[in-house]
Amino acid sequence: MFLKKIALAGAISLMGSTAFAACSYENTTPVKSLSAGFEAWKAVTDAMAECGNFQAELDQEFRTKQPAAFEANPSLYQIGGVSNGTITPLLNAGTIRPLDDLVEKYGQNLKPNQLIRINGQIMAVAMMVNTQHLMYRSDVLADLGIETPSTWDEVLAASAKIKEAGVMEYPLGATLKSGWNLAQDFNNMYAGFGGKFFNDDNTAAVNSEAGIKSLEMMKAMTEYTDPEVLVSDSTYVQQQFQQGKIAMANLWASRAGAMDDEAESQVVGKVAMSAAPKAMEGGVPATTLWWDGIVIAKNISDEEADAAFRLAMEGLDSEMVKSANDAAIWLVDGYAPTDIAKGAIETATANPAPPAYPSTTQMGLLHSALGNELPAFFTGERSAEATLEAITEAYTTSAKEAGVLK
Amino acid sequence: MSTPKAMQQSFALRFSSGAFLAFWCLLAAFPIFWIAVMSFKSPVDAFADSPWDVILGPATRANGDGLSLLDIVVGLVVLYFAIRWAFTRLPGLVRQYCPPGLLVLGWVFGAIAYALAFVLIFFGLLPLVLGALNSILGPLGAPVLGLTTDHYVAVWGENEFYRNFLNSMLVTAGVVTISLTVGTLAGYGLARSGSDLAFWLLILALVFRALPHSVLVAGYLPVFINSSEILRPIFGDGAPTLYGQPWAVIAVLVSINQPFTIWMLRSFFQNIPAELDEAARVDGCSHFQAFRRVIMPVMWPGVITTGLFSFLLGYNDFLVTSLLLDAQNQTMVPAIAGYFNRETTTTDQVEAVAAAVSITAPLFLLVMVFQRQIVSGLTAGAVKG
Amino acid sequence: MKFKTFAAFVGPSVFMMLLFIAAPLVSVFIQSFQVTQPILEQIEVETCTPGFVTQTCTTEIKTVPVLDDSGKTVTETRWVGLQSYRNVLQMEKFWSAVGNGDWNAIMQIDFWKALRFTLSFTLLTLPLVIGVGLAIALAVNNATRAIRGPIIFISLLPFIITPVIGSLSIYWLFVGDGILTAMLERWSGTNISMFAQAWTIELLMYFYRVWHVAPFAFVIFYAGLQTVNMDTLESAVIDGASRWERLRHVIVPHLMPLIIFIALIHLMDCYRVFEEIVGFRSQAHVISLQWLTYDFMTPDDAGNRAISRASASAMLTMVGIVFLLILPLRRTWRDHKGSAH
Repeated sequence: MFLKKIALAGAISLMGSTAFAACSYENTTPVKSLSAGFEAWKAVTDAMAECGNFQAELDQEFRTKQPAAFEANPSLYQIGGVSNGTITPLLNAGTIRPLDDLVEKYGQNLKPNQLIRINGQIMAVAMMVNTQHLMYRSDVLADLGIETPSTWDEVLAASAKIKEAGVMEYPLGATLKSGWNLAQDFNNMYAGFGGKFFNDDNTAAVNSEAGIKSLEMMKAMTEYTDPEVLVSDSTYVQQQFQQGKIAMANLWASRAGAMDDEAESQVVGKVAMSAAPKAMEGGVPATTLWWDGIVIAKNISDEEADAAFRLAMEGLDSEMVKSANDAAIWLVDGYAPTDIAKGAIETATANPAPPAYPSTTQMGLLHSALGNELPAFFTGERSAEATLEAITEAYTTSAKEAGVLK
Repeated sequence: MSTPKAMQQSFALRFSSGAFLAFWCLLAAFPIFWIAVMSFKSPVDAFADSPWDVILGPATRANGDGLSLLDIVVGLVVLYFAIRWAFTRLPGLVRQYCPPGLLVLGWVFGAIAYALAFVLIFFGLLPLVLGALNSILGPLGAPVLGLTTDHYVAVWGENEFYRNFLNSMLVTAGVVTISLTVGTLAGYGLARSGSDLAFWLLILALVFRALPHSVLVAGYLPVFINSSEILRPIFGDGAPTLYGQPWAVIAVLVSINQPFTIWMLRSFFQNIPAELDEAARVDGCSHFQAFRRVIMPVMWPGVITTGLFSFLLGYNDFLVTSLLLDAQNQTMVPAIAGYFNRETTTTDQVEAVAAAVSITAPLFLLVMVFQRQIVSGLTAGAVKG
Repeated sequence: MKFKTFAAFVGPSVFMMLLFIAAPLVSVFIQSFQVTQPILEQIEVETCTPGFVTQTCTTEIKTVPVLDDSGKTVTETRWVGLQSYRNVLQMEKFWSAVGNGDWNAIMQIDFWKALRFTLSFTLLTLPLVIGVGLAIALAVNNATRAIRGPIIFISLLPFIITPVIGSLSIYWLFVGDGILTAMLERWSGTNISMFAQAWTIELLMYFYRVWHVAPFAFVIFYAGLQTVNMDTLESAVIDGASRWERLRHVIVPHLMPLIIFIALIHLMDCYRVFEEIVGFRSQAHVISLQWLTYDFMTPDDAGNRAISRASASAMLTMVGIVFLLILPLRRTWRDHKGSAH
């Protein structure tokens, strides 16, 4: 039994090393990429590797390494994987190149929607969108006769009902791990209340009515969440779902596939997706839109850039999408949305649509300030007003240090 | 050796001391034992609420992976003898077949050979034999304990974890060798010099040891990445990019570890009577010759103990290796941490646990082999303060 | 030993320490008094980002750094004196909170919150580690010779295991309905959440550190016990000293240098506690000084890092450590003077 498995694994790895067949050409220029390590990137870089001479670095420290590595001359990597958050430092430092001519040469299969344009120039090619949206246990909600909630008030009401019925002790899951996750959840809610993040002079505008409302709504959520919610990240919420411990959560679309993974999940086929709940009537879904895509370094030769982009296009083709259809909400041609993509698509096409996560220097600073100052509110050490004030103060200090504020 | 009568202890004292030891051993081993159990289960079982589900693994068994009673009994017996043999016979064999000067190498070789033989017998031969027996035995051969090696196969096969293993070995070997070479010289020099300079060097080293590593490492990153540009005026076009180079990481780890190494070795050398090398000096040896001829033959217990601490540092380091190495040269600990980033699945986590258990195995072996040397090395004076 | 010989012996070691520790340290020291900023300009930017079907284009005023002719960001470095230290320490807030006697308000300032935890972590685990280590060493020394080998082996496990993995293994035992939490719940009949409040997390962190480091103390004490002078012990017995008195008056004084050695190492390692914060995800409740530095240092999505404040907080950590070390080091100084003359 065990030997058979080893033999099988050996055969698979042998196949992997000789399988140039899937690529339409053989790449001769050595190319390296640096990106995050989630499922979609694995699929894309595996597809690129089929052309040979390619090394992918799927690194959790990519955030730290990418700006420095692209600034080196020559750049240590030709291809970078970015999102609308992490493209900012590369754009600011001017270390990625415009792709217009390369798109013309190799990008016949790209859709106009995929081309990220800054002042008209194509700076990146998006491959997928991601957003947080509502996942819920359709069976639990149906049993109790609850309709799919479309606003946060309805989510809270539904949670109360599930708790009362004694089905679950903590029906709601939330990615409120202090730091990046918690700040992102605040951003979502704040956007849902129509809040504005900055004033025209770059000072923070979160200390506002929308800010108070967002905090109050989030505090109301914690009534129905696990008391350890301040350590729960997406993976933990996903696990809670898979183990049938929670009934609803506003979770990343890229996590939807895991609910139906028979090897991990005890709730296969019972989790449905719908648009992110609204924070207020007539508002936008309380979430932000994200994209992930590739950029090409500036500090490399044109030949290398050419080879790198061609390779990237090979990784972003419809063949790859077909083999990893449920790994993401792909923008690439050939993607066939399944049930699990329903919620994300509803969210992205809602009218009015949720805002894209702003890719600015200030947002990075504010995000850190939020992540560090919000926990005190949820542990009850600070009131909503004091928290928002502390956030503004923390932002001001770091914005002054970064030179954004005088 | 009989204990003098006055030193004999009452039953109550012996009992409570024994009970305390048993409790401590349970405490020490349990978390490690538990992640080892988790690594053999399907994700559903590994993170189950009930401890029995984790141990018995119903979901894993439902997938058709499991051990029968016979497997368990035979496996335990083999394990018992394997461990016993490692403690009783292995040291003798090594001493017998190894030239006395190369005892350390002999041990390393013996340990590796032992590990290989164990893996071959336990995971290669045993399953074959038991598989045949199980099919004959019928109900007795039916699986009762869910257990799967899928995660190990995935980690070592598909994810090519052996690359990380080799990188780890390279970095660790480099750290231990260089750290000891440089540290022994410095430790000896410091031990034999009573000057104030030596004292202040030691204090400075102590302050260096106290520095938060994250500050140092974040300072290295931009310099390492741009090193070929920075060094070009000095080395010309051949200037290397330090980022991603194992030897650059080795240099960093050695430096970070130097303070501890020289403190340990200095105290050790202080306990070697200075008359020894003074006698050699009188016979016309220089300091270096005295060091080589007189000190080197007697310094091994202390060096081995200090080397073990260097090994642990190099092997277990996360902060330095995760930031300064690229994917091709990544060592095992950052590779495992990579399974836990923002976008992982439960399967990834169990695979990470399997990887974590695998990297603990060499540490086990190391301690098994060098246990006596640690204690005797420390006793010989490496810790006299 | 002549200076030249001495220099040749310690040269390589000192060179490596200077290059890889002292040089960064000096640069950290300088940076703590400086602020380096890019020159920024405000320009109008049109950004087109994808929706699921169509793009949305927005035009907004963005603040972006100016690039020079070679494409590098233009930066400006200013000396700001103690500004970064002020930003970290927030003294006005601190004094006004002290004036009001408001402990809670002091704990709202990151630095003081981190200092409080770091100090209590260091000082509370110190006696525990020494006590537990000594207890295990005595118990093992007491045990039958045949089982000592395996017991030493098991005892060393928590020390040798990779810290990242060790803390995770304990985290999993307790998080959510982890098996030990579930056991505690059954036993006490109440609903327990170990990671929901500060004090339980702190307790777990103390436990983990003692679990991890006590074996180190144990093995060193155990080695020390092997060299206890049997004659002294026996004469103590003849003098009618009880077991406890023998421990106090013979064994502990014999082990004193080792206790100081361990205290020294432990103070240093604990004062830069970091892995526990990440491993137990305690950022919401407790943070440590090194974590604070690390947090300043880690770039956000937009690539900003607070280098100046990180440097300042690192220097403050250093100062704290030097203070802590002065006491045990006075003895080393006396020994040094004693042995030199």
